[in-house]
Amino acid sequence: MSAEAARLDRGRIARPNGWWGIAVFVATEATLFGTIIGSYFFLRFQVPQWPPAGVPDPKVLVPLVLTAALVATSIPVQIAYSAARRDRLGVARLALLLALVVQAGYLGIQIRLFIGDLDKFSPNQSAYASIYFTLLGGHHFHVLIGILLEAWLLLRLITGLTRYRLVALQATVFYWHFVNLLAVAVVLTQVSPAL
Amino acid sequence: MAVDVVAPSLERRIERLDRIWRERPGLLGWLTTVDHKRIGLLYFFTTLAFFAAGGIEALLIRTQLAGPNERVLGPETYNQLMTMHGVTMIFLFVIPMTTGAFGNYLVPLMIGARDMAFPRLNALSYWLFLGSGIFIYLGLFMHRGPNCGWFCYTPLNTRTYDPGPNVDFYALGLIFNGLATTAGALNFIVTIFKLRAPGMSLNRMPLFIFAMLAVSLSLIFALPSLTMDLVFLELQRKAGFHFFDVAHGGDPLLWQHLFWLFGHPEVYIIVLPAFGIATSIIPTFTQRKMIAFPLVALAELLVAFIGFGVWAHHMFATGLPTITLIAFAAASMMVVIPSTIQVFAWTFTVVLGRPEFRAPLLFIGGFIVFFVIGGLSGIMFAAIPFNQVTTDTYFVVAHFHFIIFGAAVFPILGGMYYWFPKVTGRLYHERAAQLSFWLTFLGTALTFFPMHIVGLLGMTRRVYAYSPHLGWDAYNLSETIGAFILTAGLLLIFGNLLWSRFRGTLSGPDPFFGGTLEWATSSPPPEYNFPVVPKVTSPYPNWDRADREEDARRLVAGTFVLDEGHETPASTVRDGYLDEVLSMPPESPWPVVVALCVALLFTSLLLSHVVVACVFGGLALLALAAWHTREPEES
Repeated sequence: MSAEAARLDRGRIARPNGWWGIAVFVATEATLFGTIIGSYFFLRFQVPQWPPAGVPDPKVLVPLVLTAALVATSIPVQIAYSAARRDRLGVARLALLLALVVQAGYLGIQIRLFIGDLDKFSPNQSAYASIYFTLLGGHHFHVLIGILLEAWLLLRLITGLTRYRLVALQATVFYWHFVNLLAVAVVLTQVSPAL
Repeated sequence: MAVDVVAPSLERRIERLDRIWRERPGLLGWLTTVDHKRIGLLYFFTTLAFFAAGGIEALLIRTQLAGPNERVLGPETYNQLMTMHGVTMIFLFVIPMTTGAFGNYLVPLMIGARDMAFPRLNALSYWLFLGSGIFIYLGLFMHRGPNCGWFCYTPLNTRTYDPGPNVDFYALGLIFNGLATTAGALNFIVTIFKLRAPGMSLNRMPLFIFAMLAVSLSLIFALPSLTMDLVFLELQRKAGFHFFDVAHGGDPLLWQHLFWLFGHPEVYIIVLPAFGIATSIIPTFTQRKMIAFPLVALAELLVAFIGFGVWAHHMFATGLPTITLIAFAAASMMVVIPSTIQVFAWTFTVVLGRPEFRAPLLFIGGFIVFFVIGGLSGIMFAAIPFNQVTTDTYFVVAHFHFIIFGAAVFPILGGMYYWFPKVTGRLYHERAAQLSFWLTFLGTALTFFPMHIVGLLGMTRRVYAYSPHLGWDAYNLSETIGAFILTAGLLLIFGNLLWSRFRGTLSGPDPFFGGTLEWATSSPPPEYNFPVVPKVTSPYPNWDRADREEDARRLVAGTFVLDEGHETPASTVRDGYLDEVLSMPPESPWPVVVALCVALLFTSLLLSHVVVACVFGGLALLALAAWHTREPEES
């Protein structure tokens, strides 16, 4: 069954519906984050001091290193898709698992940092803190969704590959490339006051 | 295209298709359906119910304003009804009626597909829409409905000035509604890109499909800014965040920018499907292809695109820098170009064709008249000084009702008559339909035209009462009389359709000799839409008799019937070459379950129970997982 699915997939000229579906979804999500980042800078240029007095400047090094680690997971997820298309399911599962571990680690550390920040300054104090936590919270939520998608896909791949699952894998990989790109935009916005 | 030759093998093929595509009967069938036609009908009747609600609200408003200092409604009730009228007509009537009902029913038929690209997502979008509509209306029934106007400006929308749940019903309800609309728009884009019958390259796509594509793309890029605006609002109201209050470094203009960044594309989202309907009806009743076809197609896309660059003309009185005002005024002027291209194309197609003024074409005539009037008053708002003087007066109300009712709803009404035979297999009553047109036309003009004058005389919008001796009384009274005439016209339309549903003469598959593919199949269409994948060589395939005869031959020969499974062909995006045969998912109980979980999630958020909301969010994800355990190939 797996070999047949991979063969049919290679025979297709256009991208499958599932890819188009995720591409349109990503377009609307990217617009959503464009709105948040736009609002960040809109609010920033209304006030003389950003972040306001009493709020520490954002850390620079830790978020950048974490983002680099997350962006690197684009490689294993892409490998997973290429391997699945060649019907090498073992490699695909392994690469997905590797990506999943790194991404889960990233999310864990980010959540700890998020909670630490909440102790230092509350979103109830200023517009800066409000948009800061909204931006980061929104991004972490997207990482969480990506992890759930990937974990679900790994579970499904235990029983082999079908055309449907191959398209799902292609869509998930696309989603992760987007989330990783988004991470760069978000982290640059996040650290911008300290630069 | 009727099939003349009946061969035994052909009958067997049809029987097999019937068996493969048949859905569960009864109520359960409606809950689990993934058939785009049944979902389209669900959308139709639901939006019609909301249209009735919005109409009753409008009549109550007009009764209150019939004379000076009337006491029919108190100020609080008036505010709720006024807000709900706007929210209902935009989010619960026009958009779901044009995309959900017309789009769902017609898009797959016009492109020669057997279903939408994601049938279960299609069902989900309907159930989410229904949930969001009920959610928003719950507030009104508890007399805690949204009361801040449809654009709900800050600081009036903050807890300081609106402590009840009114604004929360609005904000959460519209986020909820946005999910449904986004799911629908995504589905249309992929369906239009991928499921066109082989041969239908992009340049052979019907203009209605171009309009639906433009609408869907607009929705995909416009809704996020509304959603984020509402999320900011709810975070501010429920969690004490600061986005819009100056005291903590926020800015009230952020609300307006984000709202209108959505709100203006929204205007084109409302009228573009109307353009699509007009370009369907005009060629049929003039028996002539649309002139300037490629220009009209590009104009439809261009209107949607320019719509994203003009939002600040809603904010000319807010103290934006002059240079900003000038840039947005210039951009607003630009919309004239694609709109005028279309007006000329419609008009000259009628002039150069052999027009037969039956009811659908009459409604399109009314549409063109109102669109030109509303468009002319629209250009006036691009003039900065005029805009600053008339903003928030009844002149604005007059303008956008000419556009939204005159230009968007008239084609919807005409479209109801036009496609009624396709959906029911019966003809509407022509004389009564023509009478209903003149009633609604007269009613619309009488209701909305005097609003220009009272606006210029200084009457502001959203007032629940006004003093006598301001010279407004006669105009307001005529508006109210007009509203009741309009209602009579609408009742006549729905009465006509209801009567014709049971008593109308049988129409056959193609009573008007339409040019697009929906007329190439029987009325009402079978579950699988077309017994054979239609051959397409032009944008008006039903007028290519040779191709339709080829279809009949293919059916007899059994080529391209796809009667082996729940299947439909997928084509390449630009050229429409056959790419693969897709196996489509069967009916599913999960979309309605997911929608129910999401409705409970939003209800918990309304009640500020975040943990409970997370539980329902988790349940929704589990239901989504269960949904995907059934893979189409297994069915």
